[in-house]
Amino acid sequence: MSDHASVFADVRQGMIPAHIYNDRELFELERDRLFARSWMFVAHESELPQPGDYVVRKVLDDSFIVSRADNGEIRVMFNMCLHRGMQICRAEMGNASHFRCPYHGWSYRNDGRIVGLPFHKEAYGGEDGFNRKGQTLLPAPSLDTYNGLIFVSLDPEAPSLRDFLGDFAFYLDYYTKQSASGIELRGPQRWRIKANWKIGAENFAGDMYHTPQTHTSVVEIGLFREPKAEKRKDGTTYWAGNGGGTTYKLPPGTLEERLAYVGYPDEMIDRMKQSWSPQQRSVIGENGFMVSAASVFPNLSFVHNWPKVQDSDEVLPFISLRQWQPISEDETEVLSWFAVDKEAPEEFKALSYKAYLMCFGSTGMFEQDDVENWVSLTNTAAGSMARRLRLNSRMGMLSDGAPVTPPLSQEEYAGPGTAYVGYSEYNQRHLLQRWADYVERPAGDVDAVSVGRQDAAAIIRGENVEEAR
Amino acid sequence: MTSAYIPIDSADSPLGRHASTTQRVGVTLPFNDERHLLASRWLVDEAYILDHQEYPAWLELLTEDIHYYMPIKVTTALGAGFDTAPEMAHFDEDKYSLSRRVARFATEHAWTEDPPSRLRHFVTNVRTFATDREDELVVDSAVLLFRSRGDVREHALVSAGREDLLRHEDETWRLARRHIAVDESVIRMQNLAIFL
Repeated sequence: MSDHASVFADVRQGMIPAHIYNDRELFELERDRLFARSWMFVAHESELPQPGDYVVRKVLDDSFIVSRADNGEIRVMFNMCLHRGMQICRAEMGNASHFRCPYHGWSYRNDGRIVGLPFHKEAYGGEDGFNRKGQTLLPAPSLDTYNGLIFVSLDPEAPSLRDFLGDFAFYLDYYTKQSASGIELRGPQRWRIKANWKIGAENFAGDMYHTPQTHTSVVEIGLFREPKAEKRKDGTTYWAGNGGGTTYKLPPGTLEERLAYVGYPDEMIDRMKQSWSPQQRSVIGENGFMVSAASVFPNLSFVHNWPKVQDSDEVLPFISLRQWQPISEDETEVLSWFAVDKEAPEEFKALSYKAYLMCFGSTGMFEQDDVENWVSLTNTAAGSMARRLRLNSRMGMLSDGAPVTPPLSQEEYAGPGTAYVGYSEYNQRHLLQRWADYVERPAGDVDAVSVGRQDAAAIIRGENVEEAR
Repeated sequence: MTSAYIPIDSADSPLGRHASTTQRVGVTLPFNDERHLLASRWLVDEAYILDHQEYPAWLELLTEDIHYYMPIKVTTALGAGFDTAPEMAHFDEDKYSLSRRVARFATEHAWTEDPPSRLRHFVTNVRTFATDREDELVVDSAVLLFRSRGDVREHALVSAGREDLLRHEDETWRLARRHIAVDESVIRMQNLAIFL
């Protein structure tokens, strides 16, 4: 494997070697050093409303059962039978008290405990040969939640999720805590695109610059109240903790007026005021900025927008949450969910869902043009010319690193982190610098787990004929 | 025996309340029945319109109360009682949302279709049913969409079953409801900037 020191050095200068968007060796390093260590989103608690509900989700190649056990607790278990390694649950979702392996019939409760081991006594001599007591499907090494968002890490030593998110948690509340009840998450739509996963994450983190060009058509057909996509440059990009995003600048008004401007009904506005801190309310009410797209490193993104959903001047907001699940260096599976506040009126939920479908997801009119670009980019990054090209990702910075426009003061922007008005690539640089930090650091050793044995050393007698002689 | 087949119902959609509830009556109409012949001709003509991306003409073929609905297929255990994601879909459209999609293609800035895709809708296994209304027919069909973009990119396919409700109005037949049962859980196409 070649030395990528120069790649990481370039990235830290805001110069991007174009081949990082289609490079087999780097993808393998991402798998072993980034995705095996980082916190990864797998599901939201609202996808598992009842005891026994489960969904099956992946972290790259590893399949996990995310289940609500009979006592209500959320469990995340590696989807592999402890006996011969069969994938134990082959559905994507459902409700089950037990999972039974179709191969030899071992069965597990929905909390992972092994309950059925056919011929345990006859075949293994009972507990002496196979220690069944206390055995469970392999749990995800680390599991944690925030606002009902369930994350796992393959690193048993992972810092707490709250520490990992850092100040970005402040912004997560806009998307996932509009009332004390939080969101309900529906979906996901799943589809595969021949594009590198980093492109979508970077785009959602901070690319306000592409909106007037890529998404001209959506503005032209009258889907938005503002007649010009250039409005985008009046908003901010912010980076806080382990994520960053973009905002729109709203017309003058109070907190209530601005939330109503993007289409929230009064009763939802009342609940938002109760759920959000004074600081969270100030970003909208005092500073006039409303969250739009965002990404949490490495591959979880959010979007909030407010199109017209019928032939009238009224707009209606929607929230989407999506994951850029890496398949290979040139392929990504997009999982795109629709999120809505659990306490929202049913009529609002239905129209917000309609707004989502029109704009984002597998059929969304924004998304259609985004993906076309990202597929082209990935394809072009595969060759040897791309290895010579250092893309300039220094937007927003002068040659000496000074900002083109200064960051907003605490009076101008109440949110945590650093925010700038206008087009820039600060967030893309933050994301890729974190990427470099992870991918550069060699993976540590991982402890193996032995199934069904109390002693460490394996003893096999009389099986090797040569030795027996 | 538990059936693996679970029909799609507009009532399962948060946006399906306005949809017609007309259902099929009886067995498949004979293949030489006039009603089957006109339904088959309608579907073939529509396939050419979609292949040629003549979307304003396609919009004219839809009734004002259309429900154009393609739920998300999910893999579930036999007997689970559902095989689509609850209250979520790829398409869940009314005339307004379809008209915006068509209007977007008509702008000069719908980059995903510039250069345009080569599309071929293969429509087969057509069968027609009477309903309890003289002016409505239920038509089942299978559709395979072949889509090619650029010169050497791999093509993409979408396979689906469709259940359509055709309605006679203004001297012509229009589509009043379409349920699309997509055969893949994970779509293997970069976007659904197409119609099935």
